[in-house]
Amino acid sequence: MSRHYEVMVILDPTLDERQVAPTLENYLKVIRNSGGSVEKVDVWGRRRLAYEIKKHAEGIYAVLDLNSDPDAVKELDRQLSLQETVLRTKVVRRQLPRGAKKTAAKV
Amino acid sequence: MPKPYRPVRRKRNPLHAAGIEEVDWKDVALLRTFLSDRGKIRARRVTGLTPRQQREVAVAIKNAREMALLPYPTPKRGG
Repeated sequence: MSRHYEVMVILDPTLDERQVAPTLENYLKVIRNSGGSVEKVDVWGRRRLAYEIKKHAEGIYAVLDLNSDPDAVKELDRQLSLQETVLRTKVVRRQLPRGAKKTAAKV
Repeated sequence: MPKPYRPVRRKRNPLHAAGIEEVDWKDVALLRTFLSDRGKIRARRVTGLTPRQQREVAVAIKNAREMALLPYPTPKRGG
């Protein structure tokens, strides 16, 4: 079953910002190969971190909107977390509107 | 002795005022308004939110904290 996911990634700030999109694209193959689709890749760019992560004071933020199987997202998250250049990741299911929540759970 | 009269002042609901239905954990500017200057989440009697909204805001703030978008509470003065 395909679900909508939102994946936020914080990348090493020493990376060239132009490289970010191609690098992410490389990881997104996992999603595409499993029959999922990538709705949007939003690179926020360099941002100050609220606290240091691995001695870095800033990071390059990117938000990915995906439609994919749970397993594929899990694999994507695993692969991202193995990368040295990825400081942190977060996978969040999109919040459905209040009324739709119950009906979606039944399906 | 009569009870001292305490005026009940309803606070304006800040989410309704902003016209926001769903709290987005990526909306840092909005979530910051629910944090004290030390980074603590403001109590509901301060924010004037409904229980449900308060919960949603709290979860959103915690998500944002994990991604270093918002600070964790600091014991430091002025921090």
